[in-house]
Amino acid sequence: MKGIFRSSMIMAGTALGLVATAPTAGASELRMSWWGGESRHVATQKAIAACGAKHGHTVKGEFTGFDGYLEKLTTQMAGKTEADIIQVNWPWLPLFSKDGKGFADLRTLKGIDLSNWSEADLNSASMNGVLQGVSVSTTGRVFFFNTTTLEKAGVAVPTTWDEFFEMTKTVKEKLGPDYYTFNAVKETAHLLTILAVTQATGKDMVDPKTNRVAWTPEELEAGIAFLGKLVQTGAIRSQKQEAADGNVNLFEKPAWSEGKIAGSYEWDSTYSKYADPLKDGQVLKPVPMLKLANAVTDGVYRKPSMVFSVSRNSKDPQAAAQIVNCLLNEPEGIDILGTSRGIPASKAAVARLGKEGEPEVRAANEIAMAASGPTISPFNEHPVIRGLIIDTLEEYAYEQIDEKEAAEQIIEGVNDVLAKFD
Amino acid sequence: MRSQRFLGYAYLAPYLIGLVIFTAIPFLTSLYLSFTSYDLMSSPQWAGLSNYERLFTRDRTFEKSLSVTLLYVFSTVPLKLAFALFIAAILNYKLKFINIFRTAFYVPSILGGSIAIAVLWRYLFSTEGLVNMAIATLGFAPVDWFGDPANALFTITLLRCWQFGSAMVIFLAALQSIDKSLYEAASIDGAGKVTTFIFVTLPLLTPVIFFNLVMQMVQAFQEFNGPYIITQGGPLKSTYLLPLYIYEEAFKKFNMGYASAIAWVLFAIIMVLTLVAFWSSKKWVYYAGDKRS
Repeated sequence: MKGIFRSSMIMAGTALGLVATAPTAGASELRMSWWGGESRHVATQKAIAACGAKHGHTVKGEFTGFDGYLEKLTTQMAGKTEADIIQVNWPWLPLFSKDGKGFADLRTLKGIDLSNWSEADLNSASMNGVLQGVSVSTTGRVFFFNTTTLEKAGVAVPTTWDEFFEMTKTVKEKLGPDYYTFNAVKETAHLLTILAVTQATGKDMVDPKTNRVAWTPEELEAGIAFLGKLVQTGAIRSQKQEAADGNVNLFEKPAWSEGKIAGSYEWDSTYSKYADPLKDGQVLKPVPMLKLANAVTDGVYRKPSMVFSVSRNSKDPQAAAQIVNCLLNEPEGIDILGTSRGIPASKAAVARLGKEGEPEVRAANEIAMAASGPTISPFNEHPVIRGLIIDTLEEYAYEQIDEKEAAEQIIEGVNDVLAKFD
Repeated sequence: MRSQRFLGYAYLAPYLIGLVIFTAIPFLTSLYLSFTSYDLMSSPQWAGLSNYERLFTRDRTFEKSLSVTLLYVFSTVPLKLAFALFIAAILNYKLKFINIFRTAFYVPSILGGSIAIAVLWRYLFSTEGLVNMAIATLGFAPVDWFGDPANALFTITLLRCWQFGSAMVIFLAALQSIDKSLYEAASIDGAGKVTTFIFVTLPLLTPVIFFNLVMQMVQAFQEFNGPYIITQGGPLKSTYLLPLYIYEEAFKKFNMGYASAIAWVLFAIIMVLTLVAFWSSKKWVYYAGDKRS
């Protein structure tokens, strides 16, 4: 009995001690989750520390690469254990918040100065009329080329796809068959196919009026054949060669860091992720959109990149909103985050950064913003649609089906998914 | 005396609470969810048998994934058990530094399920990996381990077989418990080493073989880390085991109801095969005191 009494006293004392050392009233312990590469992780950790100190909160970062982030967030959302501040990919908003109830309504939180975003920006991040996030940046896929490799082969950066194929021939002749001028695996192969069809037709994959695939099978077939041509000409490694290396990201491949893969088609904001691993002072440059001979548009794939949302389960959403505002609209956050998530959408950040930040990220963003193209539907990145297209392109790459069958398979499968949203 | 009895329950409580919260409730919840349409964000909607109907009549991915899973289990389990028994038999000899060898062979089992080992496996078997370098020094052409659908599953199977340590330790313990007088009797009767192994050692090991068979089979059906990290189920779904399919349906496509139905089919398959193993054990497993012995 004495023992139990003693144990109880010790536990009570410990609890009292914890209460005494807990943060004072008004200070909150918050969590923030995001995905990204090394430079974004470093910048965001510093920024949340600075913003936390400014507003008297403690913010703990939970960060990872893009792979697996959706699954982690899904599990947390289902279990109501998501972080207080969440970086959400724009195409995921309909998945988590079809009815506008997935996240906190940011218009009801006092901490965020919404005048820093245009109405269009706020509308794009609203679901069912409820503001579910604030746009961090607008992004687009652009071409990056390793100009060191191209200079070594004595070729200029291409401006059209015809020039690109000529350049590929020269690079392989001069540097060897193990040099490739481009990369297109899984998601990138998917978006490159979309690019080819969009350039030729001027249409996005989804017709917003009918909510069905806007392309004819013949138009999509030509886009898939374009992907096939990239392999046949040795511009990119075949899917089989890629699979033989296991599931490795482009920026982790030795061939990329050595300059033996000399280009890719990536998000403008990810410039550093691809430039940082390059060895021996090699230079990576964002270049204007390459166009097909029959192109009617640049076909740029441009969209709101990501939003910061506040959890509807947060114990202190007002504090979370303060931190979001600090990260995106206040000097402490703006200066540290810089262009680690691309060129900011917030007017305050744009005004403060001016021409600061990484010049190459800025150049990449300017290319994406200046290029022409139709409005992109979020359904392009619906997980089922993306999985279907990637699987079909894999079957095509392994010669299980031809271009015609692949096009029909994709259109039928995508229309089935779209029909569920009628 | 009464307080002693409550003390027993108190000791049991942490385990029972864990069992109920982390096993029983999720187990029964997934059964309920398998009859619903549930996207994780809104409440589950009752869907009757439609998930199962789709699974068995219209889902070609499930067919492919099931056949890959069965091929994986039926190739991995015998290979792993045979290898574990072979190594255990060697380690049963009184050799110099035998304890070091035993530890060395057991280590892969501790590391085997980790992400780091899956990543290492990817580098070992990549086009320019260590395995292909070794093959090249012998004068053979490099093998496309992951890129060729015919080889990819085999490479994943090897990873599982490499983790033979736990089965090996159980075999080793069983080998050491065999009465030496049986070997002496066999020797007096003129039996050679192979004959002794087949007619003395193997029958006496059958309870342990049976135990390892069931445990390894259940574990193999649940394999996830290796194919997820190394191949992500590809190429052409040649390594797309059912746990990967369940994971993708649940967490990538938000079809938790459908994923639960697949999980229950997987559970049923494991259950049936385990029952078959138990039923067949009456014919080939010998226990001490068994009338047949």
